[in-house]
Amino acid sequence: MRTPKRGTLLGTLALAALLPAALLQAAAPAAAQSTVTVMRTIDTDRYDPHKSTARSTAEALFMVGDTLVALDPDLKTVHPLLAKSWTVSEDGKLYTFKLRDDVTFCSGKKFTAKDVKGSIDRWLDPETKGVVKNRAGDVKEVRAVDDYTVEYELTQPYSELLFQMTQHFHTIINIDQVKELGADFGVKGFDGTGPYCFESWEPRNELVLKKHEAYKWGPAFYDNKGPAKVDRLVWKIVPEDNNRVAGIQSNQGDATQYIPYWAVDQLEANPQIAVTKAPNYFWTYFVGFKITREIADDLTIRKALNLAVDQKAIAEGPFFGKAEPAYSYIHPNVLDYNKQGVDQSLFGFDPEAAKKLLDEAGWKVGSDGFRYKDGKKLHLLAYSFTNIWQQIMEAMQGDMRKVGAELEIQVFDATVIWGKLATQDFDMFTMSYPYVSAGDAMNLYFPSANRPTPNRVNWADDETDKWLLEGRGALTPEDRFAAYAKIQKKVHDAAIWIPIVHEPMFVAAGPRLKPIPAHGIYGAGLYKGLGIELK
Amino acid sequence: MTELSATPAAILPDDAPTERLKRPSILRKLRRDKAAMLSAGFLAVVVALGLLAPWIAPYDPYDNNLRMMLKPPSAAFWLGNDGLGRDMVSRLLFGIRTTLAMGLLAVLAGGSIGAVLGLTAAYFQRLEGPIMRVVDILLSFPSILFGLAIAAVLGAGTTSITIALTVAAVPSIARITRGAAMVVMQQEYISACRAIGMSDARIMFRHLLPNCASTIFVYLTLQLGQTILLGAALSFIGLGAQPPTAELGTMAADGRNFLFFAPHVSTIPSVVIFMIVLAFNVLGDALRDVLDPRLRQ
Amino acid sequence: MPLDSCNAWHGRCQGNDGRPSSGVRVPLAVLQHIAHRLLISIPVLIGVLLIGFLLLQVVPTDPATVMAGPTATHEEIAAIRESMGLNEPVFVQFGIYLSRVLQGDLGRSMISNTAVATELANTVGPTIELMLASLIWAVPLGVILGTLAAVRRGRLSDRVIMAISVAGVSMPIFWFGLMLIQYAGFHWKLFPFQGRGGPLWTLDGLDHIVLPALTLGGVFIGPVARMTRTSLLEVLGSDFVRTARAKGVSEYRVVVGHALRNSLIPVVTLIGLQIGFLLGGAVVTETLFAWPGVGRLAVGAIVSADYALAQGAILVLALSFLMVNLVVDVLYAVLDPRVRAR
Repeated sequence: MRTPKRGTLLGTLALAALLPAALLQAAAPAAAQSTVTVMRTIDTDRYDPHKSTARSTAEALFMVGDTLVALDPDLKTVHPLLAKSWTVSEDGKLYTFKLRDDVTFCSGKKFTAKDVKGSIDRWLDPETKGVVKNRAGDVKEVRAVDDYTVEYELTQPYSELLFQMTQHFHTIINIDQVKELGADFGVKGFDGTGPYCFESWEPRNELVLKKHEAYKWGPAFYDNKGPAKVDRLVWKIVPEDNNRVAGIQSNQGDATQYIPYWAVDQLEANPQIAVTKAPNYFWTYFVGFKITREIADDLTIRKALNLAVDQKAIAEGPFFGKAEPAYSYIHPNVLDYNKQGVDQSLFGFDPEAAKKLLDEAGWKVGSDGFRYKDGKKLHLLAYSFTNIWQQIMEAMQGDMRKVGAELEIQVFDATVIWGKLATQDFDMFTMSYPYVSAGDAMNLYFPSANRPTPNRVNWADDETDKWLLEGRGALTPEDRFAAYAKIQKKVHDAAIWIPIVHEPMFVAAGPRLKPIPAHGIYGAGLYKGLGIELK
Repeated sequence: MTELSATPAAILPDDAPTERLKRPSILRKLRRDKAAMLSAGFLAVVVALGLLAPWIAPYDPYDNNLRMMLKPPSAAFWLGNDGLGRDMVSRLLFGIRTTLAMGLLAVLAGGSIGAVLGLTAAYFQRLEGPIMRVVDILLSFPSILFGLAIAAVLGAGTTSITIALTVAAVPSIARITRGAAMVVMQQEYISACRAIGMSDARIMFRHLLPNCASTIFVYLTLQLGQTILLGAALSFIGLGAQPPTAELGTMAADGRNFLFFAPHVSTIPSVVIFMIVLAFNVLGDALRDVLDPRLRQ
Repeated sequence: MPLDSCNAWHGRCQGNDGRPSSGVRVPLAVLQHIAHRLLISIPVLIGVLLIGFLLLQVVPTDPATVMAGPTATHEEIAAIRESMGLNEPVFVQFGIYLSRVLQGDLGRSMISNTAVATELANTVGPTIELMLASLIWAVPLGVILGTLAAVRRGRLSDRVIMAISVAGVSMPIFWFGLMLIQYAGFHWKLFPFQGRGGPLWTLDGLDHIVLPALTLGGVFIGPVARMTRTSLLEVLGSDFVRTARAKGVSEYRVVVGHALRNSLIPVVTLIGLQIGFLLGGAVVTETLFAWPGVGRLAVGAIVSADYALAQGAILVLALSFLMVNLVVDVLYAVLDPRVRAR
């Protein structure tokens, strides 16, 4: 049942006739429960931490489950969550976690070290066909020493491990329930230790969560350590932009982080709506070159096209000035960013210089305004996402036309494009991605083993592979930085991406809610949902 | 399904065999219908605008200028600028061109295929069952699903939409044609043609087809409007023309993302679509009134 | 089709007793007709299954890649492919599918592993609800408008009515829906515009269906009004109406009592034929209003390459289309003996 709304026309009309019935219906839910509806655009396949990398999975799993450690809104500090404390051995291979002894799952089962071992073992078990297992590190063994002590042993050090452990892939699940549900796990049920409990899921429509009454172990950066302030939380799919914007202003939905950029100012101007911005948020939009394809394999062309694209205009255009123009692959505030090594001027806006580069390389402007060399047209095919990407790409298309390069765009729906991007049939592709550190980004996109996805540029470089290993295995922050800094310089110098913008994260709270602190983790702005509270 | 169910137009003339298209009288009757003449005039202007788009467009429809993004109508840009700062007037002109070309092509192609299927089914009794079953199968798929599948195979774009719209037009036109042809088939002169040893193809295309032509033509006119709307609906679910192509349905569907912010971007192409479809419908209705003898009092 | 000089099902022209002339032969002929219709529906159904299956085979999206997500590696995708049985030959996959369907098993969603039947059961209801809610106001309104237009044929009111109903069908449906959201929903706060409020017999449920039903029904008035007008004009010109008029029956009774009933048959047929069209509109309406229906499900399943779910949705949609038309057809035969006589 939804909470009753203000009198509507039909309500008024019907009220006369149906007064008793209407009263019964209206009165019952209002007294019993508070429900908050959170609107978003797209649902996920299943709520299984080991089988889905989608943002929409993360959004829900952060709420229904907990990780051993939590990430501060600064995205650099790691806090205790299910683990009270931890130590790392000198060789960086053994992590020992002391667990809280007062934690229970939604089902009432007590949380122990066995669940930690069970969760990681399931993820890494080949039977599970888990995704992104590299985010677990090279695990030798996870041991439950006693009920509240876990030893997480690696075959080689992994400098990123604690950051990775804050992500939803590391959510601790009730392994007994996983076995019980089999293939229905994450669809019909999910048992976690989070501030909310999984109640029901209607794919593509709504996911209903209810408050976890026993919850009191929220991370330090939340004022409210638990239980949650609302009884029920409904994640609702509202695909239409206009509907979400109108909806949050008329109490149809209470919160959303999916605000079209044109509406940000409008919502901020509405005194009933509180729009908050995540203090740190690393989600970067870029267009990658498939460097094994003709034309895209040419460094001069890649450099010229980078200079042709006006990031500032895009940030002010489609993003309505809300995004930050990007002149590097990762945000300069992120951990281990190589300020000295990355030459941002490579990615600036200078169409004259771009023309000069192309002229010098022998690309002559033909009668149709496009450049040709040896009878070949300067033409690139890009696969693009829909929505804002379409606008960005059309803007880029115009920018590139001005220097004589033809950009052909094929737009695909968000669900189709992943398959398309696994092929080798395009010259350029659009992508946006979240990351917590330089190492996170480099490890995802540049290992030669990750071709053709997610390493869609086909970057294959022995030195990079070696440095990635060094970075992963570094025992000190200095060594780690040194290794990742070298990679950053090399991939930036090769101009294999056109960085576009660093996206901001806004969370809007409707008239019924207090402002919600926005968190930048993995693009899931509500994080644990402990900041959601009725006025 | 019966041929009666194929009469959304209810325009199957009982005296069709003796009734050839008498152009002068039809035109005279049409001329008396002011709404129809207005629609015809409007469509003529629209077609002319579409044809002349490359010469009369004030700006390059593909020249984006983010500084002018979503600007309302002004002296320099009469209908404002779209999401990339492009001139709406120029894009509308080119959009009309694309949309009409797509619609006409789909209706003509679908109409021809459908008409041949319908004629064949009516003329060769043995083929009636199989052909009409295939038509039933095609009819059982909502055209939007066809559009999706075709776009998935060929990639979204004008080609895919045109094919999807063509496929969507085939079954209903096949039914209409068959219904009309069945009536003609009962006439004695068809048996006479057979008796004198005329070839099947000659009978079908020289005698059967002309007598169903008015029915088919009216239906095609009405179908054209629906085809343009279906194209717009396909654009809505992201299967529209690929950027930067200007196409009315895609412009309206893409512009809707700013509907509450810059309403003109979506509203103007929507209104143009509305008027074109309306004109086709009014004209189709008027033609039907004129061509259908039973409605003449 | 030439009209009989006498409208037999109505029977009034046969005399004053009002009994249909062919009353005795009706049951057997109708049963035969139904049997015939059912028989020819079988190949159509198999054709629908085959086309639905093949359509998804040629779709170049690899469901394994979709399932694996953005950051999956090549090996992970290959592993998922294998586990989903996508490496089997196409005809084997179709055979397996067909035998399952015949046993009433629609399979499980390849992505979420929910039973396809469950997903469809959850979403078919809201869509039917939405379609009925649209038809329930649009059809009577269309019939009334069409009747008025026919009676006042050629006059200004005929023109205005037809213009309005044609206008309804000439609008891009998403634009109409968005206008309703903006004005009726947001500015004037008359009705909610997000999701389904619950079953229709609750106030909340009724409240929530108004705007979607207005949107979807809006495009349906035009065809119904036009069909009614044409069909009514046709009947009004027929002999039995002339007879009735000659006998001095009032114009109102001629139109409403005699002619309208006869002219509704093609309207019923039209509704059957337009279910597919309505469904296309439902996809858009459901997206606009976040309505949890089967149209959105079908589109979502196809674009996300969830074969089992897409096939199930296509099957259900095609099946319901066939059913509606079968019912219309049979109804037609019951109502109009000329059809059976063929």
